[in-house]
Amino acid sequence: MADPNKVDPIHQFMINDIVRFGDGFAFTNSALFMALTVGVILIYLLMSTTRRSIIPGRAQLISEMLYEFVANMVRNSAGTAGMKFFPFVFSLFMFVLVANMFGMIPFFFTATSHIIVTFALAILVFAVVIVYGFYKNGFKFLKLFVPSGVPAYVLPIVVPIEVVSFLSRPISLSVRLFANILAGHITLKVFAGFVVTLGSLGFLGWLGALLPLTMTVAITALEFLVAALQAYVFAVLTSMYINDAIHPSH
Amino acid sequence: MSEMRGTGGDGEDERVRQQSQILKEKIARAQGAHSAGLAGGAAQAERDMSGMGRAMRLGTEFIAAILVGAVAGYLLDRWLNTSPWIMLVMLLIGFAAGVLNVVRAADQMNKASPPPAGSDLGPGTDDEEN
Repeated sequence: MADPNKVDPIHQFMINDIVRFGDGFAFTNSALFMALTVGVILIYLLMSTTRRSIIPGRAQLISEMLYEFVANMVRNSAGTAGMKFFPFVFSLFMFVLVANMFGMIPFFFTATSHIIVTFALAILVFAVVIVYGFYKNGFKFLKLFVPSGVPAYVLPIVVPIEVVSFLSRPISLSVRLFANILAGHITLKVFAGFVVTLGSLGFLGWLGALLPLTMTVAITALEFLVAALQAYVFAVLTSMYINDAIHPSH
Repeated sequence: MSEMRGTGGDGEDERVRQQSQILKEKIARAQGAHSAGLAGGAAQAERDMSGMGRAMRLGTEFIAAILVGAVAGYLLDRWLNTSPWIMLVMLLIGFAAGVLNVVRAADQMNKASPPPAGSDLGPGTDDEEN
């Protein structure tokens, strides 16, 4: 980025090593922001709930609202039996939410804009679903792939479809989050880049730059919504998949 | 509440029905206020944005199943040296699974936002007894 007029929308996703431990293992900027995310969540939730006042202050109220929000979500989609997974879903929700929101701060790295991060989260969800499903239901968990009321002669077709459908869940879960965040950040950068490029063309350029500037402001607001919405979608789908592990029959 | 159990004449029935209708509305209003109060502004924003969220969900569900089918078929082909047959079959199965995913997602969305109370869903769908 030596040339200030050259816009490079991908540059923000570069992974840089901060500390190298040799053998390709390094503490990167992505890892730093994931650690910061966890740190911010921990500090905020601990600080806001230490006083435990009956009439909550603002900080405590936000924590309680987040709790209630996720608790209702889990209860609605996975039932009361799913509440034992509440800590898991809440951690995922808070991590994705705060990581997305971190990405909205200028010069901050967005951990969720890399598919390997979101895929790791999705695979974690699926490991939990599969392990708990087999632990809770034994081999009855495989009924997930055999819909009830289907005649035996169509099972050879239906079961592969169900298996592929099941295997596609971690892909769609991770791709959705990653694609939304990546596309949003690139769009934001491209429009902001137009402002700079047009602005270097003189007075008419400055007038023209007003259009992408308005777009940038609008897209920034949209990105905040997307950041919150995608965290919500991720958590809702997680609790729905956990519901499948608890009640494997469709 | 006790008069709701009464089994009188036609006038009594009418009164009970009216009473239960009023109660139903009250409950619906209280539930709406409850959930709105809990979720606050975040829920409002997400309701506004839910169209785009839903579209993204349906799109990725469909694409992901096709990708998984094709990749699984490709790997099986490489393993069994049967290129390209398993991949072709798995691609079709992936399409089917994608449609299944979309239908299931749409079904969940329908369940998540039921039609407002009192709307006519056609004959045979009325639940008047509660």
